Amino acid sequence: MTKFDVAIVGGGPGGYVSAIRAAKLGLSVALVEGRELGGTCLNRGCIPSKTLLKNAEVINQVKDAKKFGIQIDSFSFDLNTMIERKNQVIGQLRNGINSLLKANKIKLYNGYGTVDNQKIISVDMEEKTEKLEAESIILANGSKPFVPNLPGLSDIPYHTSDTIFDIDQVPGHLTIVGGGVIGLEIACIFHSLGTKVEIIEMADRIIPAEDKEASNFLEKELKGKGILIHTSTKVHSFKKNEKTKVQIEKNGKETSLETDGVLVSVGREPNLIGLDNLSVDYDGKFVKVDDNMQTSIEGIYAIGDLIGGYQLAHAASEEGIRAVNHILRENNKKDFIMPRCIYTFPEIASVGMTEEQAKAQGYQVKSQKIDLAANGKGIASSENNGFMKIISEKKYGEILGVVMAGAHVTEMISQATSFMYLEGTMEELEDMVFPHPTLSEAMFEAAAKWLGKGIHY
Amino acid sequence: MAKEIFMPKLSSTMEVGTLLQWFKEEGDSVEMGEPLFEIMTDKINIEVESYEEGILLKKYFNVDDEVEVNACIGYIGEAGEKVPDSPPAPAAETESEEKGQGNSSVETAGKTVSANADSNENNDGKIRATPAARRVSRENDISLSAISGSGPNGRVHQHDVEQAIAEGRLAVTPLAEKIAADHGVDLSQITGTGARGKIEKQDVLSYLESVNVSDQEPVASPAKRIKLKGLRKAVADKMVESVQTIPHVTLTSDVDMTNVIALRKSLLPVVEKDTGYRLSFTEVIIKAVASALCKHPELNASLIGDEIVMNKEVNIGLAVAVENGLIVPSIKDVNQKGLAELTQISKELGRKARENKLKPDEMRGSTFTISNLGMYAIDAFTPIINGPETAILGVGRITEKAVAVDGELAVRPMMVLSLSFDHRAIDGAPAAAFLTNLKTNLENPYSLLV
Repeated sequence: MTKFDVAIVGGGPGGYVSAIRAAKLGLSVALVEGRELGGTCLNRGCIPSKTLLKNAEVINQVKDAKKFGIQIDSFSFDLNTMIERKNQVIGQLRNGINSLLKANKIKLYNGYGTVDNQKIISVDMEEKTEKLEAESIILANGSKPFVPNLPGLSDIPYHTSDTIFDIDQVPGHLTIVGGGVIGLEIACIFHSLGTKVEIIEMADRIIPAEDKEASNFLEKELKGKGILIHTSTKVHSFKKNEKTKVQIEKNGKETSLETDGVLVSVGREPNLIGLDNLSVDYDGKFVKVDDNMQTSIEGIYAIGDLIGGYQLAHAASEEGIRAVNHILRENNKKDFIMPRCIYTFPEIASVGMTEEQAKAQGYQVKSQKIDLAANGKGIASSENNGFMKIISEKKYGEILGVVMAGAHVTEMISQATSFMYLEGTMEELEDMVFPHPTLSEAMFEAAAKWLGKGIHY
Repeated sequence: MAKEIFMPKLSSTMEVGTLLQWFKEEGDSVEMGEPLFEIMTDKINIEVESYEEGILLKKYFNVDDEVEVNACIGYIGEAGEKVPDSPPAPAAETESEEKGQGNSSVETAGKTVSANADSNENNDGKIRATPAARRVSRENDISLSAISGSGPNGRVHQHDVEQAIAEGRLAVTPLAEKIAADHGVDLSQITGTGARGKIEKQDVLSYLESVNVSDQEPVASPAKRIKLKGLRKAVADKMVESVQTIPHVTLTSDVDMTNVIALRKSLLPVVEKDTGYRLSFTEVIIKAVASALCKHPELNASLIGDEIVMNKEVNIGLAVAVENGLIVPSIKDVNQKGLAELTQISKELGRKARENKLKPDEMRGSTFTISNLGMYAIDAFTPIINGPETAILGVGRITEKAVAVDGELAVRPMMVLSLSFDHRAIDGAPAAAFLTNLKTNLENPYSLLV
């Protein structure tokens, strides 16, 4: 039986990043993956959605061209080519991971692994079962779409994020159950492809975990484009007819709608394959860990979607790095300062606490929101829809959170993260020079206005 | 190219500085950062370091010369370089810059010392550091207390600070710095856990928590903290300087004040009619001290560098308590003044001191200082010498005590005099002789008329 310093179960952004980091720090590493390298993120999540969102963006630009004085009389698109491009992108990135694993001398086992309390992993490799032993194990099993037990759902063909990116026909009407990040991004893709999209969200607003102003802003924007959004609305049942009939209820009033396709995006549940023989503690559905990502069994760690929490690729990577740190006898003391990105049109990006969370934690909160409506670069590029909002604590000007809404904000949020990570305060933010013309100038304006000396506001 | 040496501006009110000593002679080689000369203002005296290295080519002024701020007082350069025979006219800083002759270093010198004199960096009261070291530490926000000095007596030099900076010992995030400042926490007490030891918010909070826990009692509201600044800072620096450099010895003697009381009683209406002020014991003591100083001039001397300067004038400084500090106006040529004039001057100086209206001239030049705590229930104390003076007299209260007079027990008004002297300049015997003489003067005040 081969013995390793670390064995990692799962080759997604949590698992493969931990594997490379551990190898870089001198440990011998095995990586066990039953499917494709890259996990949900690369194969069925972040990357395919961003690839197709780019297609959608191009379509939007073509439709919008007239406003810029460019006449495009007619255009058409080919869904197959789009899906092909998506698969090429995935293939390229998957090969990249593969060569990184080789370069770092990480032993890859292709098969599902079953882990026991003695830190022995049995890998099911079709014709044979291979066993390996490790000093430490990192469980990075990931998650799968959660499909609620709704009446009639099993009788109709429905999509989850696992299948929708390989769709072969653009539906005329798409019902999306769940107004979270995944549902909204897919809504934007299909809306641009010409689908009539209808979103059904049980909570009183879309992206309920995000800042309320961002949520309200996005809802208004999406509705303005023609996407139908039903909040505080429950799905009662599905019925297969010529079209699918969806029975919904809002405020006690039942109505129904007819649709060509259904996407279920109400959340994700942990992938517990191979954990049956392991007696780790759980926190609800998720594996329970401490600050160092260690489970209730010493030397067995868990990261990523398996432990719940952020359920973001970069969160999984960071958690994996922390687990490796702890395997190397280093404690992780710092709290996460986790950026969150939503790639809708327009985008939402945020980091740290929402205003509601900051208040709930007892901070003396003073927020400052700056609208992008008057932003020079925004007006010039017709992308002046949105805002930047800084949530700060009054006494020291500590930045507790930042919310950005608008074009390209996912690329700008790291400015805010840097500031928070390096513990800069509102005074330094105001003192820093921002280039003109940029959308990011709004950060300066927000800080300046917060200090009572805004220039344009 | 020879570089000018300027008289630094030590404070916003400073117009001239008195050269106390040169540490180098013409022709000596000077290292950058080496003490070059010492100056005194009405507030402080300070060693000024060289900001150039080379040969001291010219000294235009001698010890005790008063030199205008920003005036050129000498040159440093290479051996054999020609420099003017007389000092060039003082140039304003901006003009110097326009000339572009490497004056930036000199400008820095001015800034350095000036900022040091007004410095807010007060946690370092007990720390010996060169002005350059203080400047660098201030610019980099590093507390001098965290740095071990390589100089004599642990004096912190510029390169010590630079080394500490290079080691990045006190990197701190803006937020952590604000929180620490808000709680009056000395950052040097905190171990940073960030990249390369950077102090972060959590480090400060953990430190505050540990301090509170070790106090064993919940801190309802933090103690009020007052920053040492202005006069308080000047007094603090001066006291530390005096105590750290001067070996103090304090002698005490009981004085029978019966005759002084009688003298004062008979002169009170006379002086009041003459000046409008009431004669107090202080003026009689000043007069008696002046008389004793004339007979014991070593107590009227100043120790400057390695020289004992035998002052010709007898100028007596009077320690006056003012809001937030202590200042010492001086009465000039006391030996030539009568009690009426002394009363008038001392009362006016006291009033001006309390009203913060003393002119610089009225605050300098004292050769001996008297500190009178007789209005309180104080008998004797150990006064701290007002350097570069060599002695100070502490005056206690007059109180009736049982004493033996000619073999009989008698109740007499007694007062204790406490004389601190600089043992580097004076030995015990002459100081004792002075105090004995003073006691005799006070017990027989009519002898002052002789």
